[in-house]
Amino acid sequence: MLLQQLTNGLTIGMIYALIALGYTMVYGILKIVNFAHGDIFMMGSFLGLFFMKELDLPLYLAFLLSAVVTSGIGILIERFAYRPLRMADRIVPLISALGVSTFLISLAQKIWGTEMRPFPTAFGSRTYTLGSITFSEIQILILILSFILMLGLHLFVTKTKTGTAMRATSMSLTNAALMGINTNRMISLAFGIGSALAACAGIMVGIYYNAVYPTMGYMAGINAFTAAVLGGIGSIPGAMLGGVLLGLVETLGGAYISTQYKSVISFAILIIVLLIRPSGILGKKDINKV
Amino acid sequence: MKRSFLVVILAGLLVGLLGGCAANDGSSAKSDTIRIGLAAPISGTQAQYGQAFKNGAELAAAQINDAGGIDGKQVEIVVQDDKGDSNEAVNVANKFVSDKSILAVVGHFNSSATLATAPVYNKNKIVEISPSSSAPGVTDAGEYTFRVITTDAFQADYLANWSKELGYSKVALIYEQSDFGLGLLDVYQKSAPANNIEVVAAEAYNPGDKDFSTILTKIKDKQPEAIFIGGFYNEAALISQQAKKLNLNVDFIGVDSLYSEALLELGGDSVEGFKLIGFFYPGGDNEEATKFASDYEAAYSSQPDTYAAYSYVATSVVIEAIKEKGADRESIKTYLETLKDYKGATGVLSFDENGDVETIPSKLTVQGGKFELYK
Repeated sequence: MLLQQLTNGLTIGMIYALIALGYTMVYGILKIVNFAHGDIFMMGSFLGLFFMKELDLPLYLAFLLSAVVTSGIGILIERFAYRPLRMADRIVPLISALGVSTFLISLAQKIWGTEMRPFPTAFGSRTYTLGSITFSEIQILILILSFILMLGLHLFVTKTKTGTAMRATSMSLTNAALMGINTNRMISLAFGIGSALAACAGIMVGIYYNAVYPTMGYMAGINAFTAAVLGGIGSIPGAMLGGVLLGLVETLGGAYISTQYKSVISFAILIIVLLIRPSGILGKKDINKV
Repeated sequence: MKRSFLVVILAGLLVGLLGGCAANDGSSAKSDTIRIGLAAPISGTQAQYGQAFKNGAELAAAQINDAGGIDGKQVEIVVQDDKGDSNEAVNVANKFVSDKSILAVVGHFNSSATLATAPVYNKNKIVEISPSSSAPGVTDAGEYTFRVITTDAFQADYLANWSKELGYSKVALIYEQSDFGLGLLDVYQKSAPANNIEVVAAEAYNPGDKDFSTILTKIKDKQPEAIFIGGFYNEAALISQQAKKLNLNVDFIGVDSLYSEALLELGGDSVEGFKLIGFFYPGGDNEEATKFASDYEAAYSSQPDTYAAYSYVATSVVIEAIKEKGADRESIKTYLETLKDYKGATGVLSFDENGDVETIPSKLTVQGGKFELYK
């Protein structure tokens, strides 16, 4: 049972990690929590469904197109809901984020209806048994694709010039601008990449559970945000670690203590980690000179 | 730049205001309409059930209006969104009771919301008739609180008896962490020993959960013959699919909350053989149910689920009361108290002295992607 539960936990953990990256990249640069991110994930899932069901496109194209369109949505949200408020108090963009979240949910309910929809793909339901564990095709896809996406992101931010510029922007917006970096473009890029990753997560979740619905972003968003905080919000490897860790803790807690207290256990772990390391596991300490 | 932003905001405010005015005009009580409140989760995680409620109630109103209304007066359904949240539900209840033109309220969806609002309705002496709140606690909620669904106590007990007939000796329970789920769990667990059934596991989930792999992996170890899902159809579809992915091959049983096309559509092959109790079953002996299903399909071009049917029945009963006894809050209550053998889409209804409904369910199963009577 332990191995099976670990497989279950790792699968959810990878999804949390993908979504958590969006939170962490935006927070890293702007120091705001984009509470609409969970709903961007939902939009990605619906768009994937739309491309596959209405336009009859193959799965890989659905991934690609949904990622592109969703990143466009993310960039637009930043442009119209956050950028005008950048100089305002930190509470203001937070409220704007909640507004965007409600807007996206209502939009999805208007376009696609309120009910849960199945994902029209035969892919993913075949299962394999290895010793005592059973896993499905989609779980393999989740593990591999998430790993590739995260590795790609890691290489991008550490090895490319643009990635370096993005990291510089997250260290200091003003200084990066003084060094000639177009910080607005970097911010758009962070929103775009984060949203594209969320879209991929959205489609994989849609296939994994065979269910897509307008409010699916709420719990996914909260869990991913927790993962980002756990790993150290602002840190990209932290979000990956936090996601996987949260998935495993939640599953093992559910398996050996009580499923009823699944969330209680993960939040208890979060509180303990934050008490010991307030900036999260891999988060950097903020040094505030007075 | 700044200026154009301001203009947009002002325009938005203006539209809001105008919209508000228009809504007010509509709601000023006109003496030529009969107004019935509908409290349902129109938005939020349970929005689809709210939508089913709205469709069912509005169909009942449209039918009476097409037939000339009640004494020439048109019936209007006034919808308020309780978001499936008990606090919000109390706000909605207060709005309804303070509007004297509202004669009765159909709602709420969740047992938790119905229980939270019962004091408000009872204090203000206005009938609330819930289409779906099946928690045992609703029985004692007050003399103005009615419902057209049987209690979970009745359903869970019925299911325990049926489990024995099906030859199960080990059953696992997966229930929703809510008044509804806990009610089912409690009664089934109590009825199990008398039916020689051992409850080998009882695992809870939160409404809106999607991942059941942890729960199912635990249950797989206990090797039950059947899993009783004490929740709604969305989760039931997910549970049966995820069970299949874990190679957990057991029977699934449940109550009428699972009766929906969505169960078949979302669950696909994995819900084949699913056994459940149903009160609303079109295509069987109940002509009202068949007629309702075809009317519903004509109106909304989709199949009604159990909640649309219950909402339709609840609204129809209120309309019947107004027809018989006149447009008055108190006389609606008197009428309902004495209602006997009303033939509705969810079976033949009578209310007992607690405002609970008495009716007999059918045994259903999923066969070839359709709900069939279990034989």
